[in-house]
Amino acid sequence: METMIATSMLTTTSGAMPSTLYDRLKAKPEKVADIVGRVEVQHGNILEHNRLVWRLEATRDEVLEIMLKSKFFNITEAGPDTWVLSCNLRTIAEYHQIHPDEFSRELIESIKEAAPHVYGFIKGDKE
Amino acid sequence: MKAELLTYTPLAEVKKVFPDLETDLLLPHLNYTFAIEKVSRACSHQLVRHRVASFSQQSQRYITVKRLSEKIVVPPSIGSNEDFDDLIDSASIAYQKLVESGIPKEDARFILPNATETSLLLTMEGKSLVHFLGLRTCNRAQWEVRALADMILEQLRAVEPIIFNRAGPYCYQLGYCPEGRHTCGKMKEVIERYRVE
Repeated sequence: METMIATSMLTTTSGAMPSTLYDRLKAKPEKVADIVGRVEVQHGNILEHNRLVWRLEATRDEVLEIMLKSKFFNITEAGPDTWVLSCNLRTIAEYHQIHPDEFSRELIESIKEAAPHVYGFIKGDKE
Repeated sequence: MKAELLTYTPLAEVKKVFPDLETDLLLPHLNYTFAIEKVSRACSHQLVRHRVASFSQQSQRYITVKRLSEKIVVPPSIGSNEDFDDLIDSASIAYQKLVESGIPKEDARFILPNATETSLLLTMEGKSLVHFLGLRTCNRAQWEVRALADMILEQLRAVEPIIFNRAGPYCYQLGYCPEGRHTCGKMKEVIERYRVE
């Protein structure tokens, strides 16, 4: 996930082809860590090239509350009080900035392994 | 021109968690990221019309366009054309002069033509991608974006045939042409071209 963020950052500012950047960065995790370490929440679009999918257990009212707070979540009913929820990292980061509630804390904890540096700056930004 | 699928959300992984949900309902939860390379700015302008998508494009504010005449897309209808080539050369010289005189790249670029090459990352979720393909593989789409959409479709069919064998121009998806009086009139031929055995 962070390789794609780094690819996105370099695509906008270097003349290299994005597929070349992605292949190079896949082999250099330390370079990815360095680049992503410079990300700020305001750099929104580079956080959009990914999607996280969750199984959400919530009532209809709780889901409505989430949808009213952010229009960028995709939600599909999967059963009684069970939903498919998905969004990109930008949505998580921005949601957490505005609504640092229990729901957003759970979302953030779930990205800890997949995007440790992004996890760090989102959490650090608020706490 | 090149389109390369870099990452995607495998349908099978999501199906493991939601085995009873129809594939169509899962489409908005599946992501596809492509590296799109060496297309014209005219083509990328058409891509960004699809707003339910994410883009990271080479920035002309930060990247200097060197040797413009080698970094342009020429439509086949123009081919080798003296007027076209002269204008590209003039734009190239003027751009270089402006940059060398200290004009910021973000302003010097105002002189660059739509033919200028660009590269970008494109991410779309499945439902929007099927819609994009419906419009942009259509015979009525502009040649460059149609060629790009065909490349994208080919790669998607290779990795997710369950979803994308059904994708293609809207006449192929729907069984009728939604273009009304603008129809190309070649629906049978088009459907045959996109049909998967």
